[in-house]
Amino acid sequence: MSEPIIKIEDVHKHFGKVEALRGVNLNVDEREVVVVIGPSGSGKSTMLRCINRLEEYDKGSITVDGIDLNNPHNINMVRCEVGMVFQSFNLFPHLKVIDNLTLAQRIVRKRSKEEAFEIGMQLLNKVGIPEKADVFPGQLSGGQQQRVAIARALAMNPKIMLFDEPTSALDPEMIKEVLDVMAQLAKEGMTMIVVSHEMGFARAAADRIIFMDEGVIVEENTPELFFTSPAQKRTRDFLSKVLQI
Amino acid sequence: MEKEKKDAPNRELSFVTGGEVNIRQDPWWWLVVVVIAVVILLVMLQPVPFKDIIVFAKDGILVTIIVTVVSYFLMLILGLFGGLGRLSNNKLVFGISSLYVEVVRGIPLLVQLIGWYFASPVIIQKLGLWTGIEALIQYRANPIITAIMAITVCYGAYMSEIVRSGISSVPRGQMEAARSLGMSYFQAMRYVILPQAFRVILPPMGNEFIALLKDSSLVSVVAVADLTRRGREFMSAHFNPIETWLMVALLYLIMTLIAARVVSYIEKRSKYER
Repeated sequence: MSEPIIKIEDVHKHFGKVEALRGVNLNVDEREVVVVIGPSGSGKSTMLRCINRLEEYDKGSITVDGIDLNNPHNINMVRCEVGMVFQSFNLFPHLKVIDNLTLAQRIVRKRSKEEAFEIGMQLLNKVGIPEKADVFPGQLSGGQQQRVAIARALAMNPKIMLFDEPTSALDPEMIKEVLDVMAQLAKEGMTMIVVSHEMGFARAAADRIIFMDEGVIVEENTPELFFTSPAQKRTRDFLSKVLQI
Repeated sequence: MEKEKKDAPNRELSFVTGGEVNIRQDPWWWLVVVVIAVVILLVMLQPVPFKDIIVFAKDGILVTIIVTVVSYFLMLILGLFGGLGRLSNNKLVFGISSLYVEVVRGIPLLVQLIGWYFASPVIIQKLGLWTGIEALIQYRANPIITAIMAITVCYGAYMSEIVRSGISSVPRGQMEAARSLGMSYFQAMRYVILPQAFRVILPPMGNEFIALLKDSSLVSVVAVADLTRRGREFMSAHFNPIETWLMVALLYLIMTLIAARVVSYIEKRSKYER
């Protein structure tokens, strides 16, 4: 087995008096799809945001693709390699869809206007909405916005994609179109960490499922074993609550 | 929200028709027309003294416009840096910009103007004597430059707060999304945050321009021959306060009314769908 692309070692983080992360250890291999589940406030999102340093951690170390995150000079390098998709999309409302996709390509990756445009259109085709290139994000449905957000992150050719509850802000009928794009991405071999409550997606697309609670990883396993025979009582309690719905 | 969405496909179209200044679209232009008509009427019916006042004060109008426009653009730049400073995580930058805003906002513009004009040359001359630099000893305050400086510093403080509130109104997620794409802080500001903040602060920015235009009359106390000062000179030569100040007031009114229309026009043009 080669070196893991993400190494998280004993990471701690607190907000005021609240301890969000209390010693998280996690290795993720290249091409692996990891789904993180857990009750709200368990530190899933915080851990994800530490991986591209949107959140600074207090203690421990994170290495992404051989780059040490403890050294602040490396932040922008890491962020180029790590795409992030947010719960609230965070598209740039003052720019057309295609400009949302080309902006960072041009000013960060220094691509030419034509090249960035071509890559942008390819990705819009991939997420299934090339006809929306010239509209503003405000005119799109939530599902379409999230697909644009995924395309925007992919335009930077990241090695890793992080998804922070990508379907939680969507109407139910739009969840599938976003999950389909993510499943396709997983099939193509993208390294992904997905914080999600979508158990169906976790079962179908994940190589590994991680259950977090109170700032630590309680249990991790393959989807089959995780759902059929969870080892920890806390995992069983959580699953019985979310799966009976 | 609903209505904006419906209008959205016509966006290109509305940009084209919005390109002309149309009295029917903005009936307040009639007020500008009426005030200008009143001035023309006064000049035609009573050339003495109304026409004389305008001829006498026309270089003063120019000075008022120059002082207003130059200080406005300088204070925008100062306000941009002040506003960014007020949002800085760097304690020193935050401290300096906050101190600047709090102190300058608390002192009347008139006092600042007089202070800059009368006190700063003395300080610079003393500094010259102390260091022995001849150029500093010979320093004399240039009225217009001193006035522009004082207004810039004073209005820059107000502008800092406007810029700060505009940037704060842009959701946090925008900065996070920009940074997560690898943009630096300044790239994110330049391409993502400021364009959105700009649309929010356009109305107060317009108000600042009109307020500055009116406050520029204060520079008449520090030997700048603006419209107000020229009016005072005319009055003391001809002893007709009613006509003089009526005309000066109307001239200011024309300038501020036109400025208000331009501001509202720019606001309408820069709306966009969220």
